[in-house]
Amino acid sequence: MKTKGMIDIEEALGILRGFIEKNKNTRTLVEETLSKNVAGGILSELVNGGFAVLGTDTVTLTPKGEEIARDVTRRHRLAERLLADVIELPEGEIDPAACEFEHILSPEVTDAICTLLGHPRMCPHGSRIPPGPCCGQAQASTASIVTSLEQVEAGEKVRVAYIVTSEHPHLHKLLSIGLVPGTEITLHQKAPSYIIKAGETQIALDREVAAHIYVRRR
Amino acid sequence: MVETIVLVGNPNVGKSVIFGRLTGTYAVVSNYPGTTVDISRGAMTLAGRRYEVIDTPGTDALLPSSEDEQVTRDVIMRVRPAAVIQVADAKNLRRALLLTFELIECGVPLILALNMHDEAVSRGIRIDAPRLENILGVPVIATIGITGEGIPELKKRLPHARHGNFNATYPPEIERLLTETAAGFGAPAPCARAAAAMLVSGDRTVFRYVAGALPDGFIGRLERKVADFVRPPRLLIFETKNMYAAQITGEVITSQGTPAESRLARLGALCMRPFPGYLIVLAVLFIMYEFVGVFAAGTLVNLLENHLFGRYVIPLAGTLINGAIPSEIVREFLMGPYGLVSMALTYAAAIVLPVVAAFFLFFGLLEDSGYLPRLSVMLDRLFRTFGLNGKAVLPMVLGLGCGTMAALGTRILETRKERLLALLLLSLTIPCSAQLGIILGLLAGLSWQAGLIWFVSITGSLVAVGAAANRVLPGHRSPFILEIPPLRRPDFGNVVTKVKMRLVWYVREAVPLFALGTAILFFSDKLHMLSVLERVARPVVVSAMGLPAQVTPTFILGFLRRDYGAAGLFVMAQDGLLDARQVVVSAVAITLFIPCVAQCFVVIREQGMKIAIALFAFVIIYAIGYSSLLNMVLKTFHPLILAPLGRG
Repeated sequence: MKTKGMIDIEEALGILRGFIEKNKNTRTLVEETLSKNVAGGILSELVNGGFAVLGTDTVTLTPKGEEIARDVTRRHRLAERLLADVIELPEGEIDPAACEFEHILSPEVTDAICTLLGHPRMCPHGSRIPPGPCCGQAQASTASIVTSLEQVEAGEKVRVAYIVTSEHPHLHKLLSIGLVPGTEITLHQKAPSYIIKAGETQIALDREVAAHIYVRRR
Repeated sequence: MVETIVLVGNPNVGKSVIFGRLTGTYAVVSNYPGTTVDISRGAMTLAGRRYEVIDTPGTDALLPSSEDEQVTRDVIMRVRPAAVIQVADAKNLRRALLLTFELIECGVPLILALNMHDEAVSRGIRIDAPRLENILGVPVIATIGITGEGIPELKKRLPHARHGNFNATYPPEIERLLTETAAGFGAPAPCARAAAAMLVSGDRTVFRYVAGALPDGFIGRLERKVADFVRPPRLLIFETKNMYAAQITGEVITSQGTPAESRLARLGALCMRPFPGYLIVLAVLFIMYEFVGVFAAGTLVNLLENHLFGRYVIPLAGTLINGAIPSEIVREFLMGPYGLVSMALTYAAAIVLPVVAAFFLFFGLLEDSGYLPRLSVMLDRLFRTFGLNGKAVLPMVLGLGCGTMAALGTRILETRKERLLALLLLSLTIPCSAQLGIILGLLAGLSWQAGLIWFVSITGSLVAVGAAANRVLPGHRSPFILEIPPLRRPDFGNVVTKVKMRLVWYVREAVPLFALGTAILFFSDKLHMLSVLERVARPVVVSAMGLPAQVTPTFILGFLRRDYGAAGLFVMAQDGLLDARQVVVSAVAITLFIPCVAQCFVVIREQGMKIAIALFAFVIIYAIGYSSLLNMVLKTFHPLILAPLGRG
């Protein structure tokens, strides 16, 4: 069991990392947010513990802090995916629940969830999930409930879970063709191109595009 | 002032056919998503009033992701038409509705045509049109473009096009953001709500329509507000619309199971499997070669050039001109070796026209049947080696017909890099049908090895230059996402109209250049400029490439029209001026050499002068360098490679 102090530090590091990702890690903003959402004076605790460094106007993470922050972020965002895609929690409840989850997941459980979900790259809000050791092996486990279209066999009927559009602005086109979450699609073939059918629309995709479409087996 | 009516719709919904039905003149009708790159205009008279009708490129959303879609939005937001006719694929109502919502949001008077109604019915899809009309608040009419069913009704109700009373309500935080954004425009802008939605979705080109009305720092403030959203507003807006679309579709559609797959549908699927898909690709290419290369460029050209023109037209014209025109120089201008009738007319009408017509006919059949997107599927991987994707198959295959038309067609490609790569490869390696036909005829007079050397040179250059340019040029390849329309039996009338339109375009564009080219040659010859030019080019042409000095004018002709230059080589070979090695080297050189002037203009227009000049310089240097190298190799191994000599 983690101590309250440790949980606060993890929480604060996770928030700080999010700010750095968005380039909003100004000192005043970070300080204000942390003391409001975590605990007063937590920023100086981070600095004293060697997790963060104060710049002239910014706050950044030390390597030690980054390591913990990265793990927290990974756990939080994987939890979000799990809650959104498998448990199908309503949108408003995902984030608070994920905040609890992130502190209780062990590394083994985290990797198991990651595998179950097909090693997702993005959280439901479109932020990048830091990859873990399991993603490097990229073992396509048949136990995955949500998996990328790349791993689906030809002839299977699946439902679109989500599409990772943030890496590729062109993929927005998939949305306007009508390939939105919940759409039922049939994968007709995988070579030389992927051919899927959604309703009366037949679409050809290359493998990279298919890798960005995550689907749920029925 | 003449009022405007604009046709809008998703790609491949039969919009252009409806356009033809309304105006009486066809645009280029196509089965391939996104072919209508340029907008077509036509006139229509309704109840004694004249309207201008504009056909726009197919689009899925007014939030543009390609230049085509940009054009469509521009027409709607700038022209402020009297009515917008949205053409929808009745089989795919949900997708059409996403666009309908945007058009209603834009506040344009709208009428919805549920096209290809028959196909929907045959698939057991029934749409309750009156109910849909009630929900949307705009007239809804079922049509079948190909047969003309429903068109009179569409015309009759066109004056009743309305703004529509359907309003998508977004989540409250999005609504607030939209209201704030629209309020910030300062002055009331046209389609304020729609423009606000596009702005918060990250579109920056919409400024053109609200520009001037935006206060300082507006964008910065907006971007900060957008960044505060956990999920991007663009996605939230889209999801809301999609939810409404699904809801409405469920309300108005009754589906009665899916009927058994038709034979055509099965064939359509087979065309995309590795087996027999690749065999079908080869069969299609072989039929094209037989039809365009052997039948048109061989039999038909022979018939026209040697029999019709050689025996009747030219002698008759000669007699007439000799009798009617006393001036020696004018006679020579018309009938001499560089004569307007003897050279330009013969080349244009007897050699080039039959080949191009045959190609356009074949291409039209491929296009109308829906095979082309399937060809894209089969060739996507190959095209990937040189930085393009399957979509580039369309301009590349079209380039085998007419390079200029193909260069215009590169606009359907999504990234700058892809467009530049396609233009480069089109300029360097893809011979147009007339040129190809003549080159094949030229090489057929030699051994099969000669043909092979030419083929390997051209395809080798295509792959090598493509792969190298792909590494050197900055930018990205866009992902391959292509909608595959159902395979259809081509409508012959439709194909013929298309061929006719393309031929008219081709003749208008080509014949004046033929005449101009001949005139330039005639005067250069009279002023002894040709011999000067031959002398200047001598070191390159004679020493490096090993060709006779007389081919120089042919290359100049080749710049005016590619096929024209090849035809010149053909005549020289017939006259015995070129030996086997020289035929092969000159055929490779003229294929690789700079494209015709019309295609060059398109390259300049698409890429700007600087890039175009760099591209041309590369093409010229590569063509000369490669041909010289080939000449050296052939000289050394000449007896081995081109064994049966002297037949040329």
